[in-house]
Amino acid sequence: MNNKKKKNMLPVLAMAGPVSVWMILFVTIPMLYIIYISFMSRGVFGDVVYKFSTESYKTILNPTYFKVILKSLKAAGITTILCLLLGYPLAYIIAHKPKDTAAKLITLIMIPFWTNSLMRLNSWLLLFQTSGPINNFLVGTGFVKEPITFIYTDGLVLIGLITNMLPFAVLPLYSTIEKLDKSLIEASADLGASAATTFMRVTLPITFPGIFSAIILVFIPSLGIYTVTDMLGGGKILYIGNIIKNQFGSIRNWPLGAALSVMLIVITMLLIFIYTRFAKIEDMEVV
Amino acid sequence: MKKRLLATVLAGAMVLSMAACGSSNANKTESAAASETANASTEAGAESGETQAAAQDGDASSELNIYMWQQYISDDLIKNFETENNCKVNLSYMSDNADAINKLTAGGGDEYDLIMTCDAYMKSLIAGGYVEELNLDNIPNSSNINDTYWVSKGYCVPYLMNYIYVVYDSETCPVEIHSYNDLLQSGLKISTIDGARNLFPIALVALGYDPNSTNESEIAEAYEWLQKFNENVVAYGNAEQNLTNGTANVAVTYDGNASWAMKEKNTIKVADFTSDPIQLGIDLFVMPKGAKHVDLAEKFLNYICTPEVMAKNLEEFPYSCPNDAAVAAASDDYKNDPARDFSYKENVFFQEDVGDTLTIYNDYYQKLKVGE
Amino acid sequence: MSKIAKKRKRLNIISNVYAFLVYALLYIPVAVMMVFSFNDQKYNYYWNGFTTQWYAKLFTNSTLVDSLIYSLIIAVLSTLISVFIGTIGALGLKRYEFKMKKFIDNMLYIPIIVPEIVLAVALLIIFLKVGVSMGIGTILIGHCTFCIPYAIVTIKGRISGDNETLEEASMDLGANRVQTLLRVTLPNIFPGVMSAAFLSFTMSFDDVVMSNMLAGAKQSTLPVLILSMNKTGVTPDVNALATIMILIIVAAMILNNIIQGALHKRVK
Repeated sequence: MNNKKKKNMLPVLAMAGPVSVWMILFVTIPMLYIIYISFMSRGVFGDVVYKFSTESYKTILNPTYFKVILKSLKAAGITTILCLLLGYPLAYIIAHKPKDTAAKLITLIMIPFWTNSLMRLNSWLLLFQTSGPINNFLVGTGFVKEPITFIYTDGLVLIGLITNMLPFAVLPLYSTIEKLDKSLIEASADLGASAATTFMRVTLPITFPGIFSAIILVFIPSLGIYTVTDMLGGGKILYIGNIIKNQFGSIRNWPLGAALSVMLIVITMLLIFIYTRFAKIEDMEVV
Repeated sequence: MKKRLLATVLAGAMVLSMAACGSSNANKTESAAASETANASTEAGAESGETQAAAQDGDASSELNIYMWQQYISDDLIKNFETENNCKVNLSYMSDNADAINKLTAGGGDEYDLIMTCDAYMKSLIAGGYVEELNLDNIPNSSNINDTYWVSKGYCVPYLMNYIYVVYDSETCPVEIHSYNDLLQSGLKISTIDGARNLFPIALVALGYDPNSTNESEIAEAYEWLQKFNENVVAYGNAEQNLTNGTANVAVTYDGNASWAMKEKNTIKVADFTSDPIQLGIDLFVMPKGAKHVDLAEKFLNYICTPEVMAKNLEEFPYSCPNDAAVAAASDDYKNDPARDFSYKENVFFQEDVGDTLTIYNDYYQKLKVGE
Repeated sequence: MSKIAKKRKRLNIISNVYAFLVYALLYIPVAVMMVFSFNDQKYNYYWNGFTTQWYAKLFTNSTLVDSLIYSLIIAVLSTLISVFIGTIGALGLKRYEFKMKKFIDNMLYIPIIVPEIVLAVALLIIFLKVGVSMGIGTILIGHCTFCIPYAIVTIKGRISGDNETLEEASMDLGANRVQTLLRVTLPNIFPGVMSAAFLSFTMSFDDVVMSNMLAGAKQSTLPVLILSMNKTGVTPDVNALATIMILIIVAAMILNNIIQGALHKRVK
């Protein structure tokens, strides 16, 4: 008995061991430390003073943070919805192409991401700025008299978020739609269902796992992102990611930054928990 | 059970040793990269290949690690220093003042020999014991530096400095600007520098208070002033870009950045302030506690304080400079730069350490940015 | 019948136009970036005339090229590590039951959930406490920490029950575990492994937060270098470098297609 157990341990240790050790060393321990720091206090010079305090959590109760969270949730929500609306048809189209064409199309989605994301964000500024090509065209052709202020607006931030997040929606959607059994759709059509009914009753429910992972992979990162808002928002638009980053950066209040992070994790976990009441997290898949 | 624990510990050790290998490999891969570029390019490349080889000998003073702003020091200056001292200078760059402070205070600062920070942080850095005292006898050229701009002498060497002032586009700006309060007038599109300790002093001065006030009700008033100011702001940061492409018609910015904008667009003028003082910030080098290449760092500081060297550097980076001899030796282009042609250079204030009040500033700053 | 064919054709055209528009949205910034690599201006603020000087400058500016090489080395290494740990980890977590399994499964979601800066700061503090010196090793750990979860999620999706039957068959026929893993399991989940590699490389190569926090004094990655240009503005030689990179990738893809096409023909 004992011997058998020993024999069984080796493959488990060899296969799940490295990832377990990695996660414990570089995720569990650091995150415990973040929780620990969130209960410490800020030194005069922005260093962490190791004295117990709930000051940071009291600060979070300030309505300012509540407002930022709501604003961030809204922006992340809109980004997710738009990414799904844009990405689902695209994934559907790609999935219905021949296999090697589909592979090429998927690669084409990834290529822009091999250039630097900051450079791509900067491109939007160059394109839309007051004396930029878009405004020059609009003024030149007489559509508008005065150049339109596109840059440093919520709209441009949204464009930046969508173009940065779209692949994370398309990839999982593509993989589930591609696996979809086409005979099911034919059967539905044969039984007299309209295309719309087939989509709503057959395609959509079956591809739900893909939609689920798309939502997770788009919504959560866009909740914490700050480079897009920093660059395209002109420093006027702050989301929770910016606030957290500022605590670890210019404002130098690490305990507050840690407390805000803990809060963000709790909120996300809560959302995922509510969400998993409707979908099984085990179904989550990418590509 | 015991065995399992042992196995876990062993696996952990394996990962750690892997990480350690990774970091010791860093030098190898880097020098490989360096020699690759050396082969590919011309003389300059060959030079760095040579110095890299010298650096590998393990001689402590053949290498100098500097952390500073990007686009702030001439490549030629660095190259000459490398040749003169047969060493390799590793520059890495910060993207925020806080990056440098984090390096100095969070630990790990001793990986660098020189770190750039600004005058406002000096008092706390010294109090916290984060910086080494400098032996100015080994930096004789530092005598060229004007004492007016040298806070905490003995712990830092000033490099370049920045007036934070107001410039405007005389073609598109609808009003004359003579004071901070003029920035509240309608029709202005302002591109301004960011940061609590840069913005609040403006408001405090406008209201007639001490720019480094520690009085909460004054800061609250300043916050209200900034709310009005914020309505005119189109962007925080990117002043040159926004001024030259027409997104903004006024900018609160550094004189060096204004200089470049003026070269692109000659309708940009420095606002003629009548009585409000402006902020002067001094970027300086400090030696972090435990720096490893002290002798070379001193040599480098002495080198950049040499008037001719700094004068050449100013041609490429036309910022204000606390080194009087260097300014005297600078080109006419630099001396006649319209960005530094304003009469109120003496009417300045410095950013001071406000201690715990910083938390109050930050709270109001965040409120300002989030909006009500 | 022809009515349906017509309708299908129209639908096909509409869907192609739609796909084209979405791709355009993704490629507009890339195109703008490429155009501005020819901009005759010290910093890229607006279009100021045509020049090729930035491409010439690349040959003398070793800082940029060095940082690109450094970024590539880091991206390749962290892809290899993440995919290795991710592949065996995904198999281990899917196949075996052990005490910590639920816990590790949950931990995998943490790097996806928390803003990168939080994990970066936490890692930084831990490294400083232990006394690890910053450099390529610390950056690699940082990158792998967020790449491994994505890799595992990706690969897990490809592991199905069929594989297990095949594996059992392989073992019954006398192959040992390692042989089975290499000859049977791996080929089966290979598409998943490839996408994991794809994702890991992309995320590592474009990462700025971890690299900025965990970098050592000697060398910066390209994204960190670009981030540090935010005080003045991005110089067009960075655009030139990015343009060359994109062209190399596209050329490699076209070459790959030609070779595969040729091989395909020969097989036929």
